[in-house]
Amino acid sequence: MSVNTAVVLAAGEGTRLRPLTHNRPKPMLPAANRPILSYVFDALIAAGVDRIVVVVGYKRDRVRDHFGPTYRDADLAYVTQEKQLGSGHALLQARETVDGPTLVVNGDRVIDPSIVRDVIAEFEDTGAPTLSVLERPNTSQYGAVVLRGGDIAELVEKPEDDAYRLINAGVYAFDDSIFDAIDATDRTDGELALTDTIERLMDGGRVRGVRTEGMWVDATYPWDLLSVADEVLARGRVDEPNQNGSVWVDDDATVHESAVLQGPVVVGPDCEVGAGAVVGPDTALGRNVTVGANATVRASVLDTDTRVGAGSTLVETVTGQDVSLGAGTVVPGGPGDVRVGNEIFEDRRLGAVIGARVVADGASSFAPGTLVGPNAHVGTAVRASGTIGANAEVVR
Amino acid sequence: MCGIIGCVGRGDETLDVLVEGLSKLEYRGYDSAGVALSGDRIEICKQSGEIDDLRAALESRELGGAAGIGHTRWSTHGPPTDANAHPHMDCHGEVAVVHNGIIENYQQLRDELVGAGHTFDSDTDTEVVPHLIEAALADGADPETAFRRAIGRLEGSYAVAAVVAGEDVVHVARNDSPLVLGLGEDATYLASDVPAFREHTDRVVYLDDGEFARLDAEGWTVTDTGGNEVEKTVDTVEWDPEETGKSGYDHFMLKEIHEQPRALRQCLRGRVDELSASVDIGDLGDLSPTGVHFVACGTSYHAALYGAHLFREAGIPAQTFLASEYATSVPPIGDALVVGVTQSGETADTLSALREARRRGARTLTVTNTVGSTAARECDHALYIRAGPEIGVAASKTFASQLTALTLLVLGTTRVSDARDLIPALRNLPGDVQEILDTSTAEAVAEEYVDAGAYFFIGRGYQYPVALEGALKMKEITYKHAEGFAAGELKHGPLALVTEDTPVFAVVTGDGEMARKTIGNVKEVEARDAPVVAVTDGQSDVERYADHVLEVPATDPRTAATLANVQLQLVSYHTANMLGRSIDKPRNLAKSVTVE
Repeated sequence: MSVNTAVVLAAGEGTRLRPLTHNRPKPMLPAANRPILSYVFDALIAAGVDRIVVVVGYKRDRVRDHFGPTYRDADLAYVTQEKQLGSGHALLQARETVDGPTLVVNGDRVIDPSIVRDVIAEFEDTGAPTLSVLERPNTSQYGAVVLRGGDIAELVEKPEDDAYRLINAGVYAFDDSIFDAIDATDRTDGELALTDTIERLMDGGRVRGVRTEGMWVDATYPWDLLSVADEVLARGRVDEPNQNGSVWVDDDATVHESAVLQGPVVVGPDCEVGAGAVVGPDTALGRNVTVGANATVRASVLDTDTRVGAGSTLVETVTGQDVSLGAGTVVPGGPGDVRVGNEIFEDRRLGAVIGARVVADGASSFAPGTLVGPNAHVGTAVRASGTIGANAEVVR
Repeated sequence: MCGIIGCVGRGDETLDVLVEGLSKLEYRGYDSAGVALSGDRIEICKQSGEIDDLRAALESRELGGAAGIGHTRWSTHGPPTDANAHPHMDCHGEVAVVHNGIIENYQQLRDELVGAGHTFDSDTDTEVVPHLIEAALADGADPETAFRRAIGRLEGSYAVAAVVAGEDVVHVARNDSPLVLGLGEDATYLASDVPAFREHTDRVVYLDDGEFARLDAEGWTVTDTGGNEVEKTVDTVEWDPEETGKSGYDHFMLKEIHEQPRALRQCLRGRVDELSASVDIGDLGDLSPTGVHFVACGTSYHAALYGAHLFREAGIPAQTFLASEYATSVPPIGDALVVGVTQSGETADTLSALREARRRGARTLTVTNTVGSTAARECDHALYIRAGPEIGVAASKTFASQLTALTLLVLGTTRVSDARDLIPALRNLPGDVQEILDTSTAEAVAEEYVDAGAYFFIGRGYQYPVALEGALKMKEITYKHAEGFAAGELKHGPLALVTEDTPVFAVVTGDGEMARKTIGNVKEVEARDAPVVAVTDGQSDVERYADHVLEVPATDPRTAATLANVQLQLVSYHTANMLGRSIDKPRNLAKSVTVE
């Protein structure tokens, strides 16, 4: 049974990544300088998949507009999950477009092709439902797994502590009976989790777990995008041509001869880096980003269309799309305390997260751990800190 | 205009290849369609209606043959009936022909053939071709010679493909109508446009006027009118085969509206540099025109109006002409650069205006979306808008890309005094369009006025072409009455049409003299109780006089035109959708019009 089809689950918002998910779902957030989802597609295609069904939901236009009907040589079909009622429910939406065995992959984590290949090999060998298993320290954030002779013996969603060693990496292979199995699964709090269905399958027969290694990077909170970029850059998984060492610059980017790029750094298409600017290390510039003269950008992820004014300093900063920071903006960097919902995360390595289309007029500073909501307007010489809401008007 | 497909070398799959290819060409015309397969005899199936009607008709038939041709038709001669659908045949059913274009001397040929005893089944000009071939065959000519002789009798524009019973061969000829060969591993394809066979191959050969081609089991040969073999270059096309899919949208048009940020990024890629305030459009940068004549039709004409305005502002005399009128009264060209704006590069009216200009010694440039198109090959220069394929008949993303490419043309060839303001605005444009797509309330506005009697659009300066384009889009896809006016013209007549049942869309950006004057015009219509929808960047106080506001991000007045247009595209789209119109294929319209 060869597998050349994959269903990619990309319908969820990823609420813990707010304010970055205001206009787009988590799979569209940048891993270094292109969407996480593009890495998922790359891994699938490298493993021989040529037909991808993408389950979209939250802000689905952004996914469809970015990728269109094809990605590299693979056909993309889109199905919609109107309400996000769990991963099993999401997969069920693809029922009419899938015929025969299929891979099922979460669209919001960067994965390595080897993970996909391992799952395909095990599934083709045994014909049994297969899921990939990874060794991780923080198992309590994920679905923990116990393996016995290559079979899944236990599957525990978000266990109490980190006592387990293995997690479910979110890459599965099934034959098309999976849809009937989901149908037969009872809803929990109105939702259908794919893992509930897998537990049913474990009761009825065996479910294989295949130990894999290789890149597997997840972002749970906004500051995680910084470490995701680090990992992607450390492995050189970027599209831009390599200049030297760990410096990658697109052919259609303009970097002033007096500007300095310190690797690891990637500069996307149509970026402009002005005279005397210093960009990097550990920095990713998305498409069409401007870094003004004499600005310093370090350990940061600046998404598409971000404008950084002359003489600014950004450290450990994550920007959404179309952010405009005036001259002399200062983000000195973490550590700082960050509030997400009702939780306080202390001493995070984060300068600031600045949501899409924020405009800061210049000469403002952002205290460590500041979160700025989308479309906010920050006047000149403001000292911003804490959490600033969407559309807020902040003046000195 | 119509679409042609042909294929040799696919054995039993021939019919599927043809029908699938036709469905990809349906945007070129869709009032009837048909296929013919040749083997020992010719088998044919044709049907008025869309490709699905042909598919339904084919279900009850078993057509076989290893060489075949197909056609999707948009009527020029005779109504869309089964009889008028292509392919057309000779008296004995031994020859089948498909044709795109117009045969100008068909009446004379038809009279001659009828006089010689031939019987005609249709009202089309095309049907003379199979009968001419039949006559030559009866004189003892072999099929290829017979085909050449028949083509030799034709005057006008044509892309013709024919099959003759008893051989697995497709004979092809081109004059003034697009035709391209696709080279597969063991098969050769033929079509009016690449998407028809793109899923089978990316290697193509563009035929030129006066050339013949023969497709058979051995492969393909291209010859000139004298029968001498012609060396052709093989091009590789880059479009993805599935680029023609809808990405989950209900209509291509909505998909294409949403693709605008991507299309604009592609148009701008590598061409603008903000740090040095410069634009790189390659060799075109050396053009330095002293005067410009634009020739264009439809949406492209509106883009040309915008381009001419930009040139004039840069101190270069520039005028815009409807391509179909240009040749009837050619203005003194002098040293002017003649610029043909055509998405397809195959628009017959525009090609003919460009040819007229060339005949008079003018330098010509085309601003087009289609590499390898007739316009691109015939003009001295080409500037590509890089929008990617557009399938919806009503132009959307290609208009945005035309405006942007024309801005690049002006920046690249003239001295624009405030390039330092314009270039950053261009770099912000894709993101600004994305902001509109993320936040537009156009659907609610459309719902409010879906039952209106007529729609009027007003704008001034760079927003005047946008008003015209907004109205054209509304006409094309909703079939409702819509007109665009220069805002100042309203009071000189059209104001008489304005009532409480005619919403007026006023495009007002910035807060300068022009905005204030347009607001004056808005007050005129408000006083007649017409509902007002303001498309504005919030800089002026037009909101106070408007019933609804469609917001666009504030930017340079030149790039603001593209932004305002996106809101109007969405209003038209949603209105048409609520009315249940055939949005991607409006009645009576074809994507690119290759007849004059």
